[in-house]
Amino acid sequence: MRGHSLMIFEYAAMVGIPVLLALTAVAYLVSLTAAYLPLAIVLMLALFTYGITSFIEIYAHRQPGTNRIALRTSVVEGFIGETEVREKGMRMLTFKVKRFDRGDRVLKEYTYNVAVDKFMSVLDGLLGIKDRIDPSLSMRYSCRMGICGSCGMVVNGKPALACETNAIAAAREGTVDVGPMEGHQLLKDLVPDFDDFFEKHKSVEPHLFRNNAIEKYNANRVYKQNMEQENKFLPSSFCIMCGLCMDACPVVNSNPNFIGPQALSQAYRYRNDNRDQMGGKRLDLIDTLEGVWGCEFIGACSEACPKGVDPALSIQLLKSDIMASGFLGKDDD
Amino acid sequence: MEILDYDVVILGSGIAGFSAAVHASHASEGKARVAVISKLHAMRSHSVAAEGGLSGVLHPKKGRDTLDSHAYDTVKGSDFLADQDAVEELVKHAPEEIKFFEHLGVPWHREDNGDVSARAFGGMSTPRTVFAEDKTGFFMMRALYDEITSLKNVDIFHEHFATKLMLHKNRFLGIYTIDLGDGSARVFSGKSCIIATGGFSRIFSFTTTSHSCTGDGIALAYEAGLPLKDMEFTQFHPTAMVPSGILITEAARGEGGYLKDKRGDRFMSNYAKSVMELAPRDIVSRAIVTEIARGNGILHKESGLEYVNLDLRHLGEQTLDERLPMIKEIAMKMLNINPSEEQIPVRPAAHFTMGGIHTDIDGQVQRADGKGGVDGLWAAGEAGCVSVHGANRLGSNSLSQCAVWGRKTGYAAAKHARRTKAGKEEYGRMFEKQVERERGRLAALMGREDGVDPYALRDGMYEVTGRYLYVYRNMRGMRAAKKALSRLKAMLPRMVVRDKSQIYNTNLRDTLEINNLIRLADIVAACAMRRKESRGAHAVREHPKRDDANWLKHTLIYNSIFGQRVTYSPVKITKWTPVERHY
Repeated sequence: MRGHSLMIFEYAAMVGIPVLLALTAVAYLVSLTAAYLPLAIVLMLALFTYGITSFIEIYAHRQPGTNRIALRTSVVEGFIGETEVREKGMRMLTFKVKRFDRGDRVLKEYTYNVAVDKFMSVLDGLLGIKDRIDPSLSMRYSCRMGICGSCGMVVNGKPALACETNAIAAAREGTVDVGPMEGHQLLKDLVPDFDDFFEKHKSVEPHLFRNNAIEKYNANRVYKQNMEQENKFLPSSFCIMCGLCMDACPVVNSNPNFIGPQALSQAYRYRNDNRDQMGGKRLDLIDTLEGVWGCEFIGACSEACPKGVDPALSIQLLKSDIMASGFLGKDDD
Repeated sequence: MEILDYDVVILGSGIAGFSAAVHASHASEGKARVAVISKLHAMRSHSVAAEGGLSGVLHPKKGRDTLDSHAYDTVKGSDFLADQDAVEELVKHAPEEIKFFEHLGVPWHREDNGDVSARAFGGMSTPRTVFAEDKTGFFMMRALYDEITSLKNVDIFHEHFATKLMLHKNRFLGIYTIDLGDGSARVFSGKSCIIATGGFSRIFSFTTTSHSCTGDGIALAYEAGLPLKDMEFTQFHPTAMVPSGILITEAARGEGGYLKDKRGDRFMSNYAKSVMELAPRDIVSRAIVTEIARGNGILHKESGLEYVNLDLRHLGEQTLDERLPMIKEIAMKMLNINPSEEQIPVRPAAHFTMGGIHTDIDGQVQRADGKGGVDGLWAAGEAGCVSVHGANRLGSNSLSQCAVWGRKTGYAAAKHARRTKAGKEEYGRMFEKQVERERGRLAALMGREDGVDPYALRDGMYEVTGRYLYVYRNMRGMRAAKKALSRLKAMLPRMVVRDKSQIYNTNLRDTLEINNLIRLADIVAACAMRRKESRGAHAVREHPKRDDANWLKHTLIYNSIFGQRVTYSPVKITKWTPVERHY
């Protein structure tokens, strides 16, 4: 469902096409002044064809309005659930839940009717389905207050934390669409597999590095830091590892090797903590095509983050850090 | 089935479990093989929801604060049930933990000169609670998790649900778990084990805690025949948001918030004139329930719950944004209320369980016969009862307790693993036998086609605990609760798991959790109906006074061949003789 072939086209579209157009223009200018007209025409045609076919390839595979190739969805006919609202102040909502089936590797869309009140979240609705209608429905959840990062899913086509999304407010004509984060591998129903995600997080060495590791554990004093220094990394330390940014990122969806916005924002968090002593090595870890240079600055990650982290900005700042240290031949630490 | 051998097995991945892991690793210079087992993704444990801060005397001279003052506040807050030697240990080591977490990267809030700042908290006579916004637990968890990613000898097992604690002749053998990812069994054998699975506030439906707070480790210890201590003391946090029960941190009052009844009066002046809203939680919770009973509460139409108001409007937008941003975010996202313009509806909700596995001052789990500890078994954090919180925990002491006993047990477990040689053949045989038996039990559970719906049993438990074991209890009610919970307990073996899938079967997990919860609720009722006094979180209508002559003692309960057996053990008193509490 995902693969490298798409990545090449992605690159062609995002980076390649402007370059191709520029080359074509150059070829055209050359053809005006020199005797290489036939050659220039052939070159122009070839470049145009390549650009256009790659463009078509990408968009032919995409669902309208999203950036990913979707898993096949089959609709399970009929609905199960409650038929009447028993308690006052409750309202009947229809939940259309796309459940992943590992056996067939398809999404099956089930329709449930469940009563909710105006304070209930999408998660409460799903728990109602699990408790009273279909105990086999699986999702992750824990704190139900938007801090543990368990319940990331796609609500009405947008990545969101189910516990922070009000069910009635999310309903469109009485219906809430819920599906798993397809930007991750899936286990069951709404539950994604996070093994990859944790490995990527780990790969940027996300911990405070000190030259004297022993001293770290035998604390006699507090390291020096003021609020101004703290505020440099504080916004990017709000990451709850929910994985929504990875689901939203078109590059992650097309190239599974890209370490993605979550890990990179954490690289930024530790690099900008003045207590960290890893220095230039931190940049070396991410100065790769799968690291910061995989990012195409689409910004979907920052839009998806429920905690206000801005991975897109973090990554561009890391890029400029790398450029500066490369050209100036020194690290700014 | 897979059997894995480790030096140190840590069950639970909150602040206590993670602390134990990093310190076991550090104490063994990276040599001990450490496994951290979590039923969630390890970094999502309920510790992330801790908001207010961590207590510790960081600047003894500057603020004229002393260790003794912190210790006395804690003892007084505990209604004198805390073991005072343990409290002294807590306050002595808490400042080190503040610095340690700073070294791991926690962004403590700082003063202009770079010093770590502290805020006021309930029952604390001076500001000594350090904080990172109002997401202190979250930042500590992330720092610990990130640190563990750098330790090569620590393996994390995400989403493994423990179903059995295996012991033989007072020695730890291993833990049986189910890997939720593929439903297979994974058995851990080890030389040392630390139980750090947190509390069981989910025996109540109106609770501030995560869905995961089901006291699994405590229930496993009880099933293995180990004694539990002070189980009747369940703390109710005064300010849980209505109707969801989501926590509004005590720091909201620490920063100057008011509690107001329906007429807009600050009723706390009738209960704790000198400290008002910053009295210990048991006193504030009792006050709110009393006011509501007098008709001074406000009715929440949709849920039928009555509440009082938490007024933060006078604090100003800047204080909220800088020091309580999560409260603002939650109120806006969940209730569509901006706390700088409107009041937040609150009422007391189950928040913390003071009781837990009976341990000594080092966190080592004690035997039911009172003849010392279990070889190679420790309990830390909310799962263990040392006891530093006695009958009522002070806010922000829990994070210090988790960190201090996380470190202590981590060191002790690593040391024990280094000294212990592989077990005798007899232990190997017992291990295999117990694994087989557990496998059979789970297969029978999955194979059952007909029976009782676990969710219905859970809802039955909610009815009972909410009605009879809430802030105020009465003798008749507690006996009724015990009777009803015993009936529910008798139905547990007939529970049916409808989802037969192997992959990520949350129906099976829920069933096992409900099994633990109902057993624990039954134990709470059994201990509560025996204690005929009002102390801390245990307030009894018929016995409104504390009774030191008869009840200055810890309750111990264990599973004997004759069923539940309750005994008592004395409270350790070092410096402070019990006096009546005045605030």
